[in-house]
Amino acid sequence: MGAIKRLRSRKIVDRQTDWVVYTPKSRMKQPALLLKELWRDLLASRELAWQLLVRDINAKYRQSLLGVVWAFIPPIITAAGFTLAKGNGVINIGNTDLPYPAYVMFSMTLWQTFVEALNGPIQAVTSAKSMLARINFPREAIILSKLGEVFFNFGIKLILIFLLFLWFKMPVTGSVIIAPVALIHLVLLGTFLGLMLAPMGALYKDISMGVTLVTGFWLFLTPVVYPVPSEGMFGAIVRLNPVTPLLVTTRELATTGVISDPVGFWIASGMSVVGLIVAWIIYRVAMPYVVERISS
Amino acid sequence: MIISMTDQPSSSKTEDSEVVLSVEGVSKKFCRDLKRSLFYGVQDIASDLLGIREKSDKIRKKEFWALDNVSFELRRGEALGLVGKNGSGKSTLLRIIAGLIKPDLGTVKVKGRVAPLIALGAGFNPILTGRENIYANMSILGLTKQEIDDRFDEVVEFAEIGDAIDSPVQTYSSGMAARLGFATAIHTEPDILLIDEVLSVGDIKFRGKCTRKLADLRTKGTSFLIVSHNSSTISYVCQNAVYLCQGELVTQGRVNDVLEKYEEDLFLNKHNIESSVLKIPKKSKSHSHGLDIKYVCFKDEQGIIIESPKVGEYAALCVGCSAWKNFSSIALFVNIRDLSREGESILKVSNYFDRNFISVTDEEIEIQFQMTPCHFRQGIYEATLVINTVPPPGRIDEVESFKFQVKDRNQISGIGVNTNMFYQPRQWQVLKSISFN
Repeated sequence: MGAIKRLRSRKIVDRQTDWVVYTPKSRMKQPALLLKELWRDLLASRELAWQLLVRDINAKYRQSLLGVVWAFIPPIITAAGFTLAKGNGVINIGNTDLPYPAYVMFSMTLWQTFVEALNGPIQAVTSAKSMLARINFPREAIILSKLGEVFFNFGIKLILIFLLFLWFKMPVTGSVIIAPVALIHLVLLGTFLGLMLAPMGALYKDISMGVTLVTGFWLFLTPVVYPVPSEGMFGAIVRLNPVTPLLVTTRELATTGVISDPVGFWIASGMSVVGLIVAWIIYRVAMPYVVERISS
Repeated sequence: MIISMTDQPSSSKTEDSEVVLSVEGVSKKFCRDLKRSLFYGVQDIASDLLGIREKSDKIRKKEFWALDNVSFELRRGEALGLVGKNGSGKSTLLRIIAGLIKPDLGTVKVKGRVAPLIALGAGFNPILTGRENIYANMSILGLTKQEIDDRFDEVVEFAEIGDAIDSPVQTYSSGMAARLGFATAIHTEPDILLIDEVLSVGDIKFRGKCTRKLADLRTKGTSFLIVSHNSSTISYVCQNAVYLCQGELVTQGRVNDVLEKYEEDLFLNKHNIESSVLKIPKKSKSHSHGLDIKYVCFKDEQGIIIESPKVGEYAALCVGCSAWKNFSSIALFVNIRDLSREGESILKVSNYFDRNFISVTDEEIEIQFQMTPCHFRQGIYEATLVINTVPPPGRIDEVESFKFQVKDRNQISGIGVNTNMFYQPRQWQVLKSISFN
């Protein structure tokens, strides 16, 4: 006990040796300091992010009867709807290399994960408003916690995917082991876009409303319910969509193991990583101004 | 509420100790128009990102300075009070010190962990149990899991939650939730504690406990910055104070001097006190009941009008009346309230209670309530004067409000912290070699 006390008091002394300085100066003019702070706060926010993740997941499922079932319902409903429409010739969709219901369900799960990653930062900032306005904690923590939640939700959906593979007796190659890498890139893309919008989203409600609208439309520009189109204007647009190579590659790695567009995949991945770092810096710089405006 | 802190470190000791917080020329702009404010926010973000936000000393349309060139220092173990009316910039200053928002001009330097007590229970999730919320809340306040584990039992014990710790927070009474919030915040063992009007948590017993805990922290070297518009809170806890008015620092220094200035500004109209005599305009005969109060003032022993009574000295509250009817017996009722203590009524006197009746014929009179000497402590008071016929009620005339200040130039009511409620005239004597029979 005595040893713990001594340890703690020594820590306090250490903590007090350095000054924290707040000035109006722009951080962009001190890039070295900015990068140092980014790294320091990322490390410092891990534990808090974990605590917040545990808190949020606990709270979420404690107030729900169906609980994790909610993770399965949307892909199943979508798949049922489209399979029905396709079977009756209502919509004309080309043949997929996987059984169609499995194709839709699997793709929909991936798409949902992307959308969750996109909405995550915006929701994180909005729901933590009162906390942000009162306590100075590493702002990265709420984002990391949301990222954790995205992966947690995907983990639950994995059960559905597993059942899917069994039911439709789908082939699995060794490449399934690296499928998570592609999935992570897909999540990074979503987080990049969400983080970019998060500060504005806290100021203006238009952002979250717009995001809902855009993702609804975006779904139809992504090969989720149809196979990748090869020609025409529409095909070009779908291929320019950065979600396409990431989502398709994840799907291909998990099933056939043949990657149709490796170049597109690496371009989209590079864009996501670079974009995420830029968005992170913007987020950090913007947060004090956002806090200033969202509370009195 | 009343806070009394024992173990006040002497002021000479604090002057030597190191500075833990330094605020230098801090200014902050503010905009009350929401749409414009949001737009300015976007503008600020953009210019900061481009690195061109160096000079922000110009006010844009509909903006004003919420803080204007404020500077002060806080030392280890010091309790500094921040007083000012609502909207004087106190909370904005606290938020800059907590690192939540950036100053527009100036610098804030902080040493050590800052815990904002503005944030009681921020991040509490009502669905989760008290236990889970303690972990979440304390990690938001910057503690590691290990540190929380070490303190967990102390927090629960301090908050007096007991078995309810494993029930959802939404089932707690408001007092329980507030106690839990206070307990988690206080057990982060900060170096600087920012306290914003939150000391009125829970019942009297718990408040006493909070006060003792705060005093305990202070002896361990925690510095306090206490924000309140209630000067009695400040005067009990702090040695030094800073007075803000409309974003500007009006005065700083010893708590009594600062509070005197603050209360003067708050309760007395400057132009009103200059004359030091409250003159009542003459009433028409139809509104009068036969006797009218003409003026109210204080006089000294020589009968000379004085601006304000002094502690321990003779002062007479003089009520001048002019009567045009005869009264066999009238009574003056004086009710005095202490404005420094939220207008609490502290004295009610009357010549009627004292069986000392006044008869009036058609004449000019002055009724004097002589204080031999004045036992009020330093502060600002408000008197209500009523003249009744005897037996009451039979209201003849009244003065709703006569504000006055009691000064204590020699500090005889109490040196240092103003914890005395009134002035007790006293003598000290030492008797030696007494035998008890």
